Amino acid sequence: MWRITMASIGLALAVAVSVPALAHHGWRWTTGNNIELTGVIIEAKLGNPHGLLQVKAEDEVWTVEVGQPWRNERAGLADSDLAPGVEATFIGEPSANVSERVMKAERIRIDGRTFELYPERD
Amino acid sequence: MEGGWTFVAETGIAEWVRVSRWGYAAISGAHILGIALLVGAIVPLNLRLLGLWPSQPLGPLWRVLKPAAIGGLSLAAACGGLLFLAGPETYARAPVFQAKMAVIAVGTLSALWFSARVDLVASPLRVRRAAAIISLSCWLSALALGRLIAFTTD
Repeated sequence: MWRITMASIGLALAVAVSVPALAHHGWRWTTGNNIELTGVIIEAKLGNPHGLLQVKAEDEVWTVEVGQPWRNERAGLADSDLAPGVEATFIGEPSANVSERVMKAERIRIDGRTFELYPERD
Repeated sequence: MEGGWTFVAETGIAEWVRVSRWGYAAISGAHILGIALLVGAIVPLNLRLLGLWPSQPLGPLWRVLKPAAIGGLSLAAACGGLLFLAGPETYARAPVFQAKMAVIAVGTLSALWFSARVDLVASPLRVRRAAAIISLSCWLSALALGRLIAFTTD
């Protein structure tokens, strides 16, 4: 029984330690280089802990992470700017695993206006 | 939004959890404080039940760490319930979240059963070890699964 316990504890710790490789918080999971994605928002889920959009760009659908409500608001974005049907260009970093089709937006261009989610990032 | 959670998601408190900046941060922090208290209490208590520190009497440890664990679980559960309101439908359908709720249910029910039926302080090592292994497995899994929610749910 002692060995089973030690194995369970070991497994739990291994899971906890391996998790950062999958992380979607912060920027460690992205490539470090920006891409631009232009498309139409088809689904929006806004709110804590962060907002997620589904964006249809040509024949691909990307998941775009936007800010939490305070960050979107600070950038000057209303919820209606991030609603289905809106066409926008997202500038930010894609997941290092490009086949995931996931990116985190640093700034968003809508109708020629630019909204800075992370003004301090390039 | 489907699955019967619309009503919950449209309440005023759910709206507040969804948009509040510092409110959400405070609830997350208190959730972690609850987990810290719970795990910080049950790990040494269970290791003692498994036979570690045999020279330390179990009675006093039990009297201190059991209420600490109960307090920690209550705080974590209350704050967890609030965090859930930010996206009830998303969380409810996530396999990792469902697994977390299941191990919490098993952990809580087995703790209630053991405290109602067994005097662990006076029981033989075999029974104590069984109780400790169930408890450690449940709560450490709950912790690991809880952490995974942030990295698997979208």
